[in-house]
Formats: sequence, structure tokens, C-alpha cells
Amino acid sequence: MKEKKLLKILSAVLVLTFILSGCGTAGTGETNSTPSESTSAVPSESTVEPQNLKVAAFVGGYGDQMWKDVVKAFEDANPNVTVELTLEKELEDAIGPAMKAGDYPDVVYLALGRPDALTETMVKENGLLELTDVLEMTVPGENAKVKDKIVPGFLDTLATNPYSDGKTYLAPVFYSPCGLFYNAGLFKEKGWEIPQTWDEMWKLGDKAKAEGISLFTYPTAGYLDGFMFASFAASGGPELFNSICTYGEGVWDTAEARAVFDILGKLAEYTEPTTVGNANNENFKKNQQLVLDNKALFMPNGTWIVGEMADSPRADGFEWGFTALPALAEGGDRYSYTFFEQVWIPKAAENQELAKKFVAYLYSDEAAQIFAKSGAIQPIIGISSMLEGDNKLFYSIYDSGAKAVMGGFAATDPVEGVNMHDVLYTSYNSVVSGDKTVGQWIEGVKEASNKLRAALK
Amino acid sequence: MSRKKSRSIFIAMCATPALLLYIIFMIIPTFNVFKMSLYKWGGYSENKKFVGINNFIILLRDPNFYRAFQNTVIILVFVTIFTLAMALGLAAILMRKDLKGKSFFRVIFYIPNILSIVVISAIFSAVYDQKDGLLNSFLKIFMGQDTSVADLPQYLGNQRIIVYSIIVAMIWQAFGYYMVMYMAGISAIPESIYESASIEGMGKFRQFFSITIPLIWTNIRTTLTFFIISTINISFLIVTALTGGGPDGASEVVLSYMYKQAYTNSTYGYGMAVGAVVFIFSFALSAIVNHATKREIVEF
Repeated sequence: MKEKKLLKILSAVLVLTFILSGCGTAGTGETNSTPSESTSAVPSESTVEPQNLKVAAFVGGYGDQMWKDVVKAFEDANPNVTVELTLEKELEDAIGPAMKAGDYPDVVYLALGRPDALTETMVKENGLLELTDVLEMTVPGENAKVKDKIVPGFLDTLATNPYSDGKTYLAPVFYSPCGLFYNAGLFKEKGWEIPQTWDEMWKLGDKAKAEGISLFTYPTAGYLDGFMFASFAASGGPELFNSICTYGEGVWDTAEARAVFDILGKLAEYTEPTTVGNANNENFKKNQQLVLDNKALFMPNGTWIVGEMADSPRADGFEWGFTALPALAEGGDRYSYTFFEQVWIPKAAENQELAKKFVAYLYSDEAAQIFAKSGAIQPIIGISSMLEGDNKLFYSIYDSGAKAVMGGFAATDPVEGVNMHDVLYTSYNSVVSGDKTVGQWIEGVKEASNKLRAALK
Repeated sequence: MSRKKSRSIFIAMCATPALLLYIIFMIIPTFNVFKMSLYKWGGYSENKKFVGINNFIILLRDPNFYRAFQNTVIILVFVTIFTLAMALGLAAILMRKDLKGKSFFRVIFYIPNILSIVVISAIFSAVYDQKDGLLNSFLKIFMGQDTSVADLPQYLGNQRIIVYSIIVAMIWQAFGYYMVMYMAGISAIPESIYESASIEGMGKFRQFFSITIPLIWTNIRTTLTFFIISTINISFLIVTALTGGGPDGASEVVLSYMYKQAYTNSTYGYGMAVGAVVFIFSFALSAIVNHATKREIVEF
């Protein structure tokens, strides 16, 4: 009898342990999902109430050290503030589940255009806090207002004011000019000139073909965004670009828009033959390698390419070169798309005031210097004096005559089964492989554009 | 307390944790998939709008969904047929006593199943590489070493080939696992049956079809259900890691399409509608297969 009782107690304990350990792992799971690299500064003189700020930052090509340093500097300047920092490569996976459950970070650094589209979803769902008043704030520790420090143009884009109502919801950070990257060493060796127009481009393409080099490659079709935006602007000016971004009626039938598709259609014939097979997230570096190996001349990319391919083998005498997109005709404008990332505050954030102060702080010279050390260039006036090396060349592209174009598509309500990214960029893979004609490509874009126009916010 | 009663309490207590976990992690999420498929929702905000069966109506007219569904069915059919045939055949061969090095082959065939899908994708992206992949390097032996890259097949770039490239990777990954399952079934068949069959003059092939297959039929039926479930799941993993659904959506399968709609396209409700269709499809298919393969159980 005693034995039986013991057995019962034992089994009860066992069951309890199971249940509790279940809870236990759930608990640790949660903390794991936000592995906070919290640099907790103990407030030395707490005259004010201690405050807690949750910052979530995406870790990309720039690494994570800069965020640790910036947070440290912010905490030093605000001794009563403790910043809880979440740094993750797959930031969506780290903060997404908690956000679904109603637990939001206060400040998020996660740009538009990521595959998981968390930021786009927040925009589409009106989940962002308006930041227009942050622009009027004085940068902590300085005299200037935030809006006076930001380079003009960055605050007039759909990537910062997604609802085109003059209100800013996303703060622009870390910009990078996009254009065509090439091996400057090869051009010197062969005595080739960088083409200024597409006609010159085709001539160069034929010359290179004779030497067994393809004119063009692209990492994945998604990299065509900067390429196409800049080409649209070169073809029809900023008006065409804006009309396209707001899904203007009939815009895809204009001769200027068609001209860009025709160029890409012709470029498909000059594209390196292995490009399409490797144009996915697993193999895109093989396409980038083509330029390093002198198998292809040009590829659309951003300044991060230098760091990304730093350890890759390369042809003798390789040297990075960077140019804006060719003009459509002699004497036409040349454009370079400016890619930049965004910082935002969720509407549901707890410490909104402190979050705004932190965002304003990101534009201080102190923070900009910390970012620049890791190659992340803040769009603030006078940043060029902080640049060195390859970056000096890349960021001088606008000084040498190229015009800038920024932003992206206007926010719409989500439309089931319709995705502009897929029809406009990803479809190019089919054009290169011959599965679609340029005409079919345009038809697909038109159809998606019509559906999205109806859902414009 | 009576013995019987305390016994049932004990059983109930033992079963409770598993049952609770099952309800929390299986029943409730499945119910939620069906519920959310009736809403228009981005996934993060409070703006959930009930739209009835609207998501399903859009789904019926979505060509990209049909393409993904078609790919899934092709993968399902080919992977099941080839994996089943290979696994059964190899299991029968490797269970023969007089085969040299059979434990070595057993290990070799099982290894792909231990590898993570990401590793398998990396292996196959090296095998399929157009320029210096294993397959094309082999082809060059016949076509000449100076064949231009453009003339070699594109296993991951050609939209008509890519689904089959994925199928090959999936068969390679799966057959070892099923082979081991069939071997377990075959090992339970007494050797004496084969012996008497041999004495009666039955050949090896006849033995395989008349003795082995009927006697492990229940085993085969069970694995058919596994095939359906695991092929749908693993095709998502392989596609995500190997091609990302590309080029231009040519290798998209239902689950990768569901993921893209639910997250990338911010249409979570629509994604869940895809999920609901996949759920019903795999359940119905399993039921049909189960029913169609019903035979009188042969025992020894």
C-alpha cells in the first residue's frame, strides 16, 4: 500500500515537472527570441525616474558594433535611461512573434524592401507613429533642428512619407548610392570608356562579347529596383518616376516608360547566361563573382558590395568602379538611385517620447561618426568630410553630374495575390530566359498596377 | 480507492501533459488557420476585417496559386513513385543474406536523411551549377571541354526543368529513410517462407511481388500517408533554400506561396486561406490513398 502511495506521489511530481518544465522552456524561449545585447548602464545620479527603452536593430552588412556603441553613447548622455537592445540578422523572427502578441519595441531599425516585409506591413496597417514632430526637435547635445541636419530630398520621398500627405512616418538613415559596379582595372587594361549613353553601352557590349565577356549580370532580379527607378527618371524625368510610384493611370503605356522596358529587353540578350540560374538568395554571390572574375562587365548594386565581396578571389588588377546609369540619349540626364534605410517607432510603443529623443539623437554628429566608422553613412549635411577610401568615390557620384532619385512605391492596402516587386523585377528572370516577351512583362505590370491603384491609401 | 479507479487516474495524469500540448500546439493553431482565412488582416495590427469566403474566391482566380498547386502535385506524384520504388527495391536487395557490404550501403543510403535541408540545398546548388557543377562537368566529357556555358543545361534557371531538379533532390533526401522502414518490415518475414518458395521453384522477382510486398503491405500504406505529409512540407523547405521560388515563381509550391502571401505581401488572411486549402487537400488525399490501398491483411 505504501509503495502504491509512493508511486502516486512520484507520478504526480513527474507530471508536474513536465508541465512546469513546459512552461519554463516557453519562458526562456521568449527571452531567447529577443536575445538582448543589453548594455545596462547603472544610473549614477538618478535625479529623474529611471527609464527603459527597447531598441530593435537589424544586423546587416554594417555589423552590430555600431549599434552597441551608439546605445552606449546615448546612455552616457542620459544616465537615467537603460536601453534594451535587440540585434538580429533575422530581426523579423526576433520581434515579430512578440509584436503579434502585443509586445512592441520602442524604436525599430528595419528598412523597407526586406523579404519578410515587416516594415511594409506596418505601413499598410497604419501601425507607425508619426515622426513629423521629431523633425522639429533639436538634436540632443546640439543646436540644430533634426530637419535642418538631414540632406534635402530625403524627407520628400514615399519611403519616409508613405501616405503622401506631407507627414513623416519613417526616419531616413544610412544611405547608399546605387548604380552599376564594374572592374575599373579591366577598363583601364582594355582602354575602354565608361558608356555615357545606352548606344555606347551596346557598342561596348559587342566589343566585350568578342572577348568572351558578357555586358551585364545582376545578383537577383530584386536588385533591378534601383536600376529601373533611375532609368525611369532618366527617361521621363522625376515626373515619370513619381507617377509610376503612385501607380498613375496609363503610365505604363507612355513612350518614356516603354523605352526603359525596351532597354532591359535588349539588355537581356547581353546578360551572362548563368545569371538566371543563380539569381536567388542562395546563389546570388556567384553572379556578383562574375564581375570579379571578368566574366561580366556591369552589375547593379549598392556600396555594401565592397564589404560583402571583400574576401572573394578576384582577377589581377581588380579595382572597384562605380557609375550612374547611362543616359537614354546624348546629353540626357544620368541618374543614380539613392537607397536608404529607415528607423521607425511603432504606434503601440510604450515609451514614445524617449523613443523620439533617441531617433533625434541618431542625427547627432556623435552618432553619425560612430555609424560612419562601420561604413553606415547618415544622410546629414557635411557627412562627406567623414568619408574615406572607396566610399569617397562612391558618395561623390552626385558631385560628378548624376542626379539623385529616391523613394519607392506608395503604400497601398494589402492586395491578395498581387505584388509589384514580383511582377516588375522578378519577371525579368523570365525575360532573360526567354519565357516571357517584353510585351507580356509590361502587361503583367499594368495589371498589378491597376489593382494596386484601387487600393492606394 | 479501488485499483481500477486509481489506475485510470494514473493513466489520465500521464496523458494530460501530452494532450494539453497537443491541444495548445495543434488543435488551436489549426482552428485559428481556418478562422483567420475568413479575415482580411496584415498580421500585426488590430485591424481585422471579416470578409467571409472572399479570400477563397480570390484564390480560385489566382493563376500564381494554380501554378504553385500544380508544382506541388507534380512533386507529390513523382517523389512518391520514385522514392517508393527505390526504397522498396533497395530494401529487398539489402535484406539478402549473401550481399557483401550491405551495412555499408545501408549507412550510405541513410546519410542524406540526417543532413539538414540547408546542407542538401547547398549540395544540390553545387551539383546543378551551370558553369562548374557536377552534372555539367560530367556532360562536358561528352560534349567537349570547350563547350560554351550557354549551351549547357540550366538546372535552376530553366523554368521547364526546375521542378524536376527539385524532385531529384527530394528523392535523394528521402529514399534512405523509407528504405530503413521497409527493411524493418521485411526483416519480420520469416526466412522459412522464402526458403520454401525457393524449393517450390519461385524466382527472386516472383518472391518479391508475391511474398515481400503483400506481407509488408500495411507498412507501405502507412508510409504513403507519410509521403504526402512530408513531401508537402519538405518541398517548401527545399524550394525556400534552393531557389526561393524562382526563377519568376516557376518553382513555387503551395506552402512557399502561402508564406509569401502571409508575410511578404502582408495578406495574412489570404495566406491562411491557402493554408486551409492545403490542409483539406492533404487530408483528403491521405483519406483517398488510404481507402484505395485497402486490402485484406495477409499474415504469416
